[in-house]
This record gives sequence, C-alpha cells and structure tokens, in this order.
Amino acid sequence: MSQVPGTDKKTKLLVYTIEECPACGQKTKRAFAVGDYVTKDGGKCTKCSNQTKISLVYAENSKPSR
Amino acid sequence: MFLLGSTALQVPTDAGTIIYITFFVLIFFFQFAFGTRLQSYFAINDIGRGLNKLSLMKDKARKEAIDYLVNVGKTSADPTQRVDQFLDYVTIMPVDIDPAGLVGKIDHVVTTNNDRVRAEVGTLLSTQGGPANAVTVSISENLLEVATALNQLHKIVRHFYLLGKKTNSYFTLLQLQMLMPMIIQEADALLNATDSFKMGQPVGDGIGPVVVSKYMQGKEKRVIAKDTVMAITEYKGRKLYVLKADGPMAYVGQPGVAIKKVIEEMGVKPSAIVMIDAALKLEGEKSGEIAEGVGAAIGGIGVEKFQIEEAATKAKVPLYAILVKQSLIEAITVMRKEIAEASDKVAQVLNRVIEEKTKEGDEVLVAGIGNTLGVAQ
Repeated sequence: MSQVPGTDKKTKLLVYTIEECPACGQKTKRAFAVGDYVTKDGGKCTKCSNQTKISLVYAENSKPSR
Repeated sequence: MFLLGSTALQVPTDAGTIIYITFFVLIFFFQFAFGTRLQSYFAINDIGRGLNKLSLMKDKARKEAIDYLVNVGKTSADPTQRVDQFLDYVTIMPVDIDPAGLVGKIDHVVTTNNDRVRAEVGTLLSTQGGPANAVTVSISENLLEVATALNQLHKIVRHFYLLGKKTNSYFTLLQLQMLMPMIIQEADALLNATDSFKMGQPVGDGIGPVVVSKYMQGKEKRVIAKDTVMAITEYKGRKLYVLKADGPMAYVGQPGVAIKKVIEEMGVKPSAIVMIDAALKLEGEKSGEIAEGVGAAIGGIGVEKFQIEEAATKAKVPLYAILVKQSLIEAITVMRKEIAEASDKVAQVLNRVIEEKTKEGDEVLVAGIGNTLGVAQ
C-alpha cells in the first residue's frame, strides 16, 4: 500500500483507489497501485459484473504512530 | 522639602545593598551594550538550524529526481551532472520598464523554458526503442522543478544569512528568523510533493481536472492547445465545450490559449465560461470547502489569466469560478479524501451554474484548471 507522510509528521497517509461501476453505481475501495489513474478501467463489478472505472484516488490519515 | 530631604538621607551604605544595586546596573549596562548582539547570536543559531534543514531537503529532492530518472526513466548514462546543471538554470524575465506587451514577452520566455525542459528531459530519458513514456517525462519535469525550487530557496536563505552575519545586521537576521518557520513549511510541502509525483497520484490541485473528466468520459477528445484537450458534450440542451490538461500526465496545459482559440478561431460564442480550480484556503477554513465567484479562476504567473480575461472581455462572456479550498501542502501532495469527495458537490454546483446562467441552446465553456497528474479524461 502506498504510504506518504501526513502534514503533521505524526500521521501517515494511506492512498486508496475508488472503482465505480457506471451501470449500478457500486463503489469499491482498494489500496492504490502504481499505474492507477482517474478514468482508467478497473476490475469487474462485484454486483453486476460490468466493467468499472476508477473514479477517485485519494489519501486518508492512518492512525497516529507512537 | 522635608520629604525630599528624608529621601536623600535613605542612600544605602551597607555592602549587600551596594552589590545588589551594582548587579542591576551591570545587567542594565550589559543589556544596553550587548543586547542586540546577544539576540543576533540567537537568531544566527536559529537560522543556521533552519538552513541545515533546508540543505538536507534540497539534497533529498535532488537525489529523488536522480533516482527517478535512473530507476523509472532508465537513463542510459548517469544523469547527475545534467541534473546539477539543471538546478542552476535561470529564466530571465523580460524588462518591465515599458509594460506594453509584457504578457506576450513573459509568455514567450516561459514557453521557451518549458519547451527546453521538456526536450532535455525527453532526450535524457529517450530509449533506443523510441521516445520516452509521456507520463514518466512529465513526472521527471515536476521532480526537477521541485528540486530546482528547493535549491533556489536554500540559496536565497543562505545569501541573507551570510549577509546578515557579515554585516552584523540585526534587522536582516531578525526578519529572516521570523520568516524561517514559513519557509521551512513551504520547503516541507515541496519535498512531500515528490512522493506523490513519483507514484503518479493525483494531487489536490487536480480537483478541477477530476470534475471535468466526468463530463469528458466517452466523448471524442481533441488537442486544442499544447498539453490541453477538449471534448464536446451536452447538458440539458446546452452544448458544453469542456477542456482540461492532457492527463494522466503531470501537465497544467495552456487553458488560456485553448479558451482564446475556442472563442476567436473556432467561432464559438459561449454564454458563459465556468472555471473550476483549487484555491488556497486561509487558516481556519476547512479543506474541501467550495466557494463560488466570478472572474478567471487560475493561478500561475498571470499569462493564462490575462489571456482568458482578454478573450472573455472581447467577446463579452461572463466568467464564473468554482473554487475548492485547500492548503498549499494539500494542493501539491496526494489528494486528500475531503477534497476528492468535494468533486461530486462541485459537479452539482457546476450543473446549477449552467442551468441558472444559461438557457437551452446556449454554448458553455467549462475549464478544469490544475495539474492533471493521475487524472485522464
């Protein structure tokens, strides 16, 4: 998983990729992989088996490390 | 008179009191004679520590750029010497004592510099099989820009630090000491940006391209200006001309040239130009907050803004802006959740602006402004 330092240095940011199904709207969240970009084809939708597309790539704070 | 007389009689004569008074007189004298020198000493120490930090940061950024060129770019030769030359390359801005036509001159100089950087990085990364991957070239350009900025920052701080020391100028040192925390914060933001660039992750500044990419998906794209693409789509009876920098490369494109071309060369008569961009928030404001306004929502040196304002003014097209608030570090590092999740709300605002400000059958120009790394269309 991609990790980058947070703004306050005590937290790490975990980067996620969101895949969205254009047919049923189901969103799947997974760890970011190098080569991911917004609008790139994702995997098959787990609900309707349609081709998903990457709709967002974003970072979230992980728990502060001690 | 009596009181004054009695006060005068109260002059202490014992040794303890005299030592006590002498001590305070000495402290007062010391403070008066050496106070600023003492504070200069503390300031020098403080700035020195900050300067060491800056030096480490610029070395790290340089190393990151070289490592990326070698490991990902697969350069055939050692790029160290070329990178070092790159860091000291200067762009001489045109003379401004006669401001007429200045924007055109700045545009010319900046474009020349950008072209040179692209060509040099391209040559450095070109493989035997052909030209290098466009994403890798664009990321390398950005990494080199970060390394150059940190190198320049370090040089400027070192200049004033040494000048202050040499001339023993207390006020030079004091000003630098006061600015140091903000300088370090900015340098830290730049250094953190290298992590996102290397991985090809969208940055906070890319929120504009993220929003407009939703409108461009599945539509035919055409190159409208250097590194800038446009798609034509429809929304509630309006014809939308949607443009953004060509992704997923780390480009910002030339939206000014593109908008000018659409209006002046393609003969499109838009009823509104809507620009979506990231905006620096003030302390206390929340990241991901959306602000609406009028005017050209675009940062940078001012050339693009000038071109857009000029084209819009000539054609009498109103300019609307939708801004997503974020800090400097959030703008140049991987996009935070609260900013990314604002994209749906921005799309709703954009739809509302189009519906309110235009009518069916109108043409609307929509521009997603910002670095489009990790955001295709």
